[in-house]
Amino acid sequence: MGEKSDVWQGTLALMALRTLESMGPLHGYGLARRIEQISGDRLQLNYGTLYPALLKLEQEGFIRSRWGLSDNNRRAKYYELTKAGQRQVKKAAAEWEQTTAILACFLTPAEEA
Amino acid sequence: MMMPRKLRAFWIRLLGMIGARRNDDDFAAELESHVEMHTEDGIRAGLSPAEARRQALICLGGREQTRQAYRERRTLPWLETLWQDIRFGLRILCKNPGYTAVAVLTLALGIGANTAVFTVAEAALLRSWPAKEPGRLARLISTTPQGEEDSFSYPDYRDLAGQSRSLQGILAYTRRVKTLRVEAESQAVRDDVVSPNYFSVLGIDAQLGRTFSAESQPDSEPGVVISDSLWHRVFNADPSLVGKQIWLTGRGYTVLGIAPPGFRGLARGVPTDLWLPVATEYANKELADRKSREFEVLGRLWPGVTAAEVKVELDTLGRRLALAYPAIDKARNVVLISERERLREAMVPTLILMTGVGLVLLICCANVAGLVLVRAEARRKEVAMRLALGVGRLRLMRQLLTESLLLASLGAALGLLLAAGLLRLAPALMPPSEVEFGLDLHLDASVLAFTAAAALLSVLVFGLAPAIQLSKTSLVSALKGEETGAARSVRRWTMRNALVLGEIALSLVLLTASGLVVRSLLFSRSLPLGFDRQRQLIFFDLDPGIVGYNSERSANFFNQVEEKAAALPGVRHATMARRVLLSDSGGGMTQRVSIPGVELPQGQLSVPIKLDAVDGNYFRSVGTRLIAGREFTSGDNPLAGRVVIVSQTMAERFWPGQEVLGRQIVADGTACQIVGVVEDAKINSIHETPEPYMYFPFVQMPSEEGTLIVEAESNPHALTTRMLSEIQRVDRNVPVSVRTVDYLMQQAFWADQMAAGFVAALGLLGIFLGAIELYGVVAFTVNRRSREIGIRMALGAERRDILRLVLGQGLTLAAIGAGIGLVASLAAMRLLSTMLYGVRPTDPLTFAGSSTLVILVALAASWIPARRAASIDPMQSLRTE
Repeated sequence: MGEKSDVWQGTLALMALRTLESMGPLHGYGLARRIEQISGDRLQLNYGTLYPALLKLEQEGFIRSRWGLSDNNRRAKYYELTKAGQRQVKKAAAEWEQTTAILACFLTPAEEA
Repeated sequence: MMMPRKLRAFWIRLLGMIGARRNDDDFAAELESHVEMHTEDGIRAGLSPAEARRQALICLGGREQTRQAYRERRTLPWLETLWQDIRFGLRILCKNPGYTAVAVLTLALGIGANTAVFTVAEAALLRSWPAKEPGRLARLISTTPQGEEDSFSYPDYRDLAGQSRSLQGILAYTRRVKTLRVEAESQAVRDDVVSPNYFSVLGIDAQLGRTFSAESQPDSEPGVVISDSLWHRVFNADPSLVGKQIWLTGRGYTVLGIAPPGFRGLARGVPTDLWLPVATEYANKELADRKSREFEVLGRLWPGVTAAEVKVELDTLGRRLALAYPAIDKARNVVLISERERLREAMVPTLILMTGVGLVLLICCANVAGLVLVRAEARRKEVAMRLALGVGRLRLMRQLLTESLLLASLGAALGLLLAAGLLRLAPALMPPSEVEFGLDLHLDASVLAFTAAAALLSVLVFGLAPAIQLSKTSLVSALKGEETGAARSVRRWTMRNALVLGEIALSLVLLTASGLVVRSLLFSRSLPLGFDRQRQLIFFDLDPGIVGYNSERSANFFNQVEEKAAALPGVRHATMARRVLLSDSGGGMTQRVSIPGVELPQGQLSVPIKLDAVDGNYFRSVGTRLIAGREFTSGDNPLAGRVVIVSQTMAERFWPGQEVLGRQIVADGTACQIVGVVEDAKINSIHETPEPYMYFPFVQMPSEEGTLIVEAESNPHALTTRMLSEIQRVDRNVPVSVRTVDYLMQQAFWADQMAAGFVAALGLLGIFLGAIELYGVVAFTVNRRSREIGIRMALGAERRDILRLVLGQGLTLAAIGAGIGLVASLAAMRLLSTMLYGVRPTDPLTFAGSSTLVILVALAASWIPARRAASIDPMQSLRTE
């Protein structure tokens, strides 16, 4: 196993939203695995922390959940984006991009030097 | 993130606290399915089922932690803790109902008194003008070398209003009393005569109809705007009243409109019933009189104009007036009192009031702190146990403060009820009067905020120290039952002793004062009044002069009314008098009298003597005793020789020890023969010293006003109604107002009763607080000394000895306090001496009574902890070693 990063505060929600946007409805376990995969296994995700984050998103009305059957015919709770969630992904992604872009301006020259 | 999202989440979390069990199960199932899927993946990757499941749980980061994190997110943990604390606190409070009741009641008294006084201060002092944008309104006054004057003459007002550029509008008003007649009965109402722009400057519109037209186009006929209160009180809120005529002091007025609810005019404490424009109330000549200063003046500043700018302009205008009318307005200047200045002036009395009543709350808090400390002592072990079990000290302090907060909230709620009750009582506490008095008192948002602040503040005062103290409990020593912080408690102990002594001394002073005042009141009530208060006397004040009667027509009118009254069934006596005894007008008439053959003091030729004009059967009707001679008879008519009846004091003053009947006095240039002597009657007040008084025959003293006095056999109410319609039948335009002997009595005793009630209430409050403080101190020592008591009992002390020991402590404190109080009373009661009648300020009976009461209450307060001390089981109290 290579070096893994912890998930930064507040980014997990965006990752979950973004994953749900691209993958469609997922259960918690599937979502956790998918986030790890997308990060190229560079993230050390404590699966347990995902659930309170999902609950928060649900309370805020960005996602909704319902019980369904998994591929292996197992009962699992599926999460999917709401309309508000889709808008929120765009907004949060744009904000995040802007933040990283600004940050990049500070970091790039240092590398050149 | 947007606020509504957060709010939505908050709501869901709040709702999440309901049905927590089901949600827990739901999440457990979700987690289980997560772990199983992860395990299956692990098995598929070649792990053993047990290892796969172990890995899955590791990745999850612990099932219980996850569930806890989830639970905390689902609900509001702090709210849950708070709810826990509250439930725990309520349980504790319910377990000690006596302690809770006393603490809550104490706080309720303090908070209730503060709330009530604040409400009064707010209504009387702080509240702004009852107008739109009241901050821009300001009173104008004039300054003279003699001091400040509130009133302006109408021409001066007009000049100011016409010339000022910095004020948007200036209004003027003056207050009077008029008689409103509705159907048969008349009543006094307060009217404000106002400049036509009065309502528009205030920014107030009628709720029904309209207010006055501008000055440029005056109303063609007399119009009136009436208050919402009068509209409801007298006209049953009849909407068709607008446009109709009402009768005011013998003149018809069209009702133009009804003022909005709650608008009571500009004077605090004297609500206005109706408003009239100056144009119809004053003749032009009167309005042009620069010498009569009758009008109070208020100005509205333009938005953005400062008070300082207005002041500069008013100064110039004032100088101009002084220059133009040097004879009248010389050295007079015009000054504006801005809203901020008004408030600053109002702050001083407000602060004095609030400091006084705030001290009461402080004493209440000190008492409750004492109680809380007693409880805290008893709970030291419980607290130590909880600390030992791992409860954080901060958490513990929060728990204890929550308990205090609960006490304070209950106290505040009860206090609010108490204040509401007191405010309800307020109108009954006002002096009986024909026109309504009273502030517009209600518990509004600012009062509620004040009460909440008072409650929170009291928590800080009575709850914080015990909470800190208790949460500092040293684990080991508390569990072992040792005493801690001895030095500290000794200091507090002496301070608390001083507090107890002070409270007991003060309550003794107050109780002594109330005892004296009550005894004085009882004495006053037994004083002979010179008439029979037991009789069902009804007084009908008739004023035919107002509707243009001359004295001849009036005499005829009075005669008819008296005959009608005498003929009514249920009437024992009917008589006429010019003045009613024991009322404001009782001594309203005096005449200079010279007395032939009697040397008057300082060589004067005549002396002023108060008088009344009465009918022949007057004395018989009201129950004034005839001492010598005869009453007036029908022979004493206008054509016959003048006669007079004098009071006993008058007879003794001018003809001591001599025969009085048949002598003459000269009143108004006419010789009158004395035909009778009657006992002295109270003229204006219960406590006046008797002075010479004389009665003339009603018919020999023509007048356009008089009072019909009727003595009812029973049920004065029914008779009043019948009598009023009889009077109406004679002439329905003559104003009548009705008073009863009960009303006169109430009015006469009002001040004494108020003083007695007030001092007695303070005394009871004082003794209540003193008892609680004493209980707190004694109970505290009993807790502290429980081991010592146990040892004493083990060494053979009887329960009786323990009882005596503890009672002794309480009674010693009470006796010292009472001693101080007695000395203080002897000094303080001298201040009361002018208020006392028939009882000396050093009345031994009252002093003995109040001391006994204080000692008895102290005994009762110490009895409870003493009983507890005596029931200590020596084995148990020693076993804690």
